[in-house]
Amino acid sequence: MSEATTSTETTAGTFEPRIQAFVCNWCTYTGADLAGTSRIPMAPNVRIIRLPCTGRIDTLFILKAFERGADGVIVSGCHPNDCHYAAGNFHARRRFAVFRELIDFLGLDPDRITFSWVSASEGKKWSEIVNDTTERIRRMGPFSAYRGLAGRTP
Amino acid sequence: MKELQDLAAKLLAEKTVGLVIGWEQGPRGARPAFVADPKDAGRLIFDNRCVHNLAAYLSPRRPHLRGFGRIAVAVKGCDVRAVAGLVRESQLKREDVVLLGVRCGGVHDEPTDAGPLTAENLADRCVGCEVREPPRCDHVLGELPPAPPSRDGRRAGRIAELDALDHAARFAFWRQELSRCVRCNACRQVCPLCTCERCLADKTDPPWIESSPHTRANFAWHATRALHLAGRCVDCGECERACPAGIPLNLIGRKVAAVVERRFGYRTTDDPQVPAPIGAWKPDDGQEFIR
Amino acid sequence: MSRIGVFVCHCGENIGRTVDAAEVARASGNLPGVAHATDYKYMCSDPGQALIKQAVAEKKLDGVVVAACSPHMHEKTFRRATAGAGVNPFLCEMANIREHCSWIHENRPAATAKAIDITRSIVEKLKRNAPLEPIRIPVERRALVIGGGIAGIQAALDIADGGREVVLVEKGPSIGGHMSQLSETFPTLDCSQCILTPRMVEVYQHPRIKLLAYSEVEAVEGYIGNFNVTIRRKARGLDETKCNGCGQCQASCPQKKIPSEFDAGLGKRTAIYVPFPQAVPNIPVIDSGHCARWKGIVKGLKKFACGKCIEACGRGAITFDLEDKIVTEKVGAVVVATGFQLYEIGRDHEADGLKGYGEYGYGRIPDVIDGLQFERLASASGPTAGKLQRPSDGKEPRTIVFLQCVGSRDPAKGIEYCSKICCMYVAKHTMLYRHKVHDGRAVVFYMDIRAGGKGYEEFVRRAIEEDGAEYVRGRVSRLERDGDVVRVQGFDTLSGEPVTIDADLVVLATAMRSQPGIEALAQKLSVSYDRHGFINEAHPKLRPVETNTAGIYVAGACQAPRDIPDSVAMASAAASKVLGLFSNAELEREPNVARVDEATCAGCFHCRRVCAYGAVERKEIRDKKGNLVKVVASVNRGVCQGCGTCQATCPGKSVELEGFTDPQIYAAINAFQG
Repeated sequence: MSEATTSTETTAGTFEPRIQAFVCNWCTYTGADLAGTSRIPMAPNVRIIRLPCTGRIDTLFILKAFERGADGVIVSGCHPNDCHYAAGNFHARRRFAVFRELIDFLGLDPDRITFSWVSASEGKKWSEIVNDTTERIRRMGPFSAYRGLAGRTP
Repeated sequence: MKELQDLAAKLLAEKTVGLVIGWEQGPRGARPAFVADPKDAGRLIFDNRCVHNLAAYLSPRRPHLRGFGRIAVAVKGCDVRAVAGLVRESQLKREDVVLLGVRCGGVHDEPTDAGPLTAENLADRCVGCEVREPPRCDHVLGELPPAPPSRDGRRAGRIAELDALDHAARFAFWRQELSRCVRCNACRQVCPLCTCERCLADKTDPPWIESSPHTRANFAWHATRALHLAGRCVDCGECERACPAGIPLNLIGRKVAAVVERRFGYRTTDDPQVPAPIGAWKPDDGQEFIR
Repeated sequence: MSRIGVFVCHCGENIGRTVDAAEVARASGNLPGVAHATDYKYMCSDPGQALIKQAVAEKKLDGVVVAACSPHMHEKTFRRATAGAGVNPFLCEMANIREHCSWIHENRPAATAKAIDITRSIVEKLKRNAPLEPIRIPVERRALVIGGGIAGIQAALDIADGGREVVLVEKGPSIGGHMSQLSETFPTLDCSQCILTPRMVEVYQHPRIKLLAYSEVEAVEGYIGNFNVTIRRKARGLDETKCNGCGQCQASCPQKKIPSEFDAGLGKRTAIYVPFPQAVPNIPVIDSGHCARWKGIVKGLKKFACGKCIEACGRGAITFDLEDKIVTEKVGAVVVATGFQLYEIGRDHEADGLKGYGEYGYGRIPDVIDGLQFERLASASGPTAGKLQRPSDGKEPRTIVFLQCVGSRDPAKGIEYCSKICCMYVAKHTMLYRHKVHDGRAVVFYMDIRAGGKGYEEFVRRAIEEDGAEYVRGRVSRLERDGDVVRVQGFDTLSGEPVTIDADLVVLATAMRSQPGIEALAQKLSVSYDRHGFINEAHPKLRPVETNTAGIYVAGACQAPRDIPDSVAMASAAASKVLGLFSNAELEREPNVARVDEATCAGCFHCRRVCAYGAVERKEIRDKKGNLVKVVASVNRGVCQGCGTCQATCPGKSVELEGFTDPQIYAAINAFQG
């Protein structure tokens, strides 16, 4: 893109992780809205993409985010039995369960990804997910190992 | 073998089927055979080199076989799972195919291997075989052979070794393995359950799977393929056998199958009525990884 | 899309304090495809919206990004403004730089950088947006109500009074449901039939209600606004158009000793019968299990032992036509109001995993009855004409023991949930009894008293304080017949003492369960149900009378244990939803639904398995000669709710969810991370 406004290295030299979040519209996106309305401060490292439902969140999104430079990913939706579409999160849960163990087996640390249920009333929990993930990824360092598999410098 | 040849000739002569798919002797070991003329039925063989899962030819993605009408196909007990998968997923009508089940006491790793089976040369998937007698077939042929030699599964052992490593070491292993993939798509072509009309990896808008065969694209491709086969893979090992780069793809398939079995209590079955686990859910599915 | 306008809002100081809106506009203006970018104090204000419209006109913009608050706040506002400017409203997207940025960050450069990222990602997404048109579905403005109890009656009347036609299907020979069996109702003690029967008659006489009693729903096809319902009209054995309900047939029937379902087995009825005198419709039905002639016809006999009813009927209405009739109705909405059944203590519930209560001797000891049987004993229209007589010897009981929570709140042997109505009706029973037998003793064994409801707690207090009901907190371990009495052995958990009472009659307040066969009906309707067989509402708080299938609503005790006021409230709520749906001849829906690429669909139907709404159908693709080429998935746009689970599941990505397509998401990821 023409302007890379998030850089992995800040001027101070500390690592600022880039974290891509995929959230459902009804619970977590609204919970993140509530965090805003409640003025709960949190790390500015997370970029949210809104989907209707966790059921819509394809594992391809996660791999693509890592490919494109994300150091961490958050996937979040409605708690079990709260899905706006009845069962989208249950389908997603199975999908992510297998995905997580699969990438683990392939040597990609699944701690790069936070899976969570954040309801529309859990603004505080959302801020914790954001801050905890940012801190964790900061400790883990850039995910250049995966990004760099293409042979180019990350 | 005679029994198979005679039956094939009869089915073709009676026009019960238009084509029999089985195995024959090729210049380098056993190979798939396509017999449309009853006179050619004598070409058909079955022995421990007939490793190929011929159910792959029943996929509707083989339109060149469509003109033959009903097809008879020779299947080992384990191959029936792939047929069930096709039926389960509306890719095949069971009545459109005649299953010639062959009683099997295990096969070699490669169709070029020869000689009696030993614990050393037995294909890994045959260890602990429970389907020497092929289930759900229209005809079952041959004598019931003795159980294959017993030993520990090599792949299960390899998976346990890999599981014991740390992420960096596992990553190094797979980076090395997957760097050799040239994306020839042999794994996809030979897979009986890769039934998509247009593969996701061939889609350019958007290009979810990068098309250049670099290691990162190969990770995404093989991870995605394994996920799409979760709860569907029949563990025939054909992808690994077909891989010209010798990548141990079956390790990935087996790992996912183990995860699916542990988490959802499901093993790929030869019963087409049993629904697959992905696309289903239970309220109490494990979610220890979700905050 | 090459001429996108980006409009950055300051939201007064809300965004402006931490995000440099002018900088966001400047950076966005440099993005490829962006033809115009500006910032303004309040974009949602009239001048702000005018600014957008003006820019669209002047700069010939073909897409709009508003970087402001959450789309949940103002997406509608800005899409309307975009439409007002002559651009398809779905070509307007919002970048959330307030809730997700300015309000949660304090570092101005970091927040500004993030706001630029968010806006860029939305711009890239918008480039892949397609103009969408709302989905318009014609609505058949007639409703089907399944179940003719109080909930179904109320729903049918409300919809019909609202000006729409209703088809009311009742499984039994008469409408009225359980309420028609009750003697009095809590907490007012007004006579149940007195308030119910006028409503039943109203149903019968209503010009817009078509009553199909003694009928069952066979199949339901279609979707919201367009359901085709197949209904089986069970054979009554007589011509309903000729019958005038005179009752001569019933009087002539020699089979007089059949236990009456209406009287909960305490009274008797004939083989040709009207279940109760106020039945609606007042047309008899012949009980195939007991009528000698019917059994003879089924056996193929030429001569019959009996034909008394045929002789008795002055109108030649009794035809013994035993053919069920299948009718079809087209409706736009369905209200499910199939009610409940009581936990049958005497029956083996092995199949349901319920162990039952053998120690209470129900079915074995004649003077152990359930609450509904007590209602019949207390009812003026009951088998004893309201005189309290116990079943064994007709004696007036001097002591009655009531046991609450039989089957309810008992995960070990019954059901874990609370049946909700029992506390209240037991209190009512004690009062009815004491009003009839002033010096009788009414003892209630209870776990807790749950009397939440208007006038409910006061009602229970009245039973105890004014009508002298004795409440013992504790469980009863055993009921035994001892000569003339039923010995009740229990434990008073407040005093810590065992209690033994010799009762003349014991009444079990048995659990409320879902109707048998409800699962099959729910499957026909594609609505979900819980493990107890109660229909699931779409949302427990906000959509209590909708189901997960659009156009199908739920009312009364088929959703959960409900008392009469709750059932009626739900029924009226469901009716108002139906009338809302029927307020327009066409239904307009957001077009964010799934679309199948038929060229690449392999027809594996993984999508169909994951669809919670049954929106995925099979579609046959044929060549010019009519030969089947392949079968593909096809999404019914009227049914799809737009969750997108199908798309994530489709291995070949042959489904796209409009508004959240793969190219859109891909572009958004790329813009963030690329």
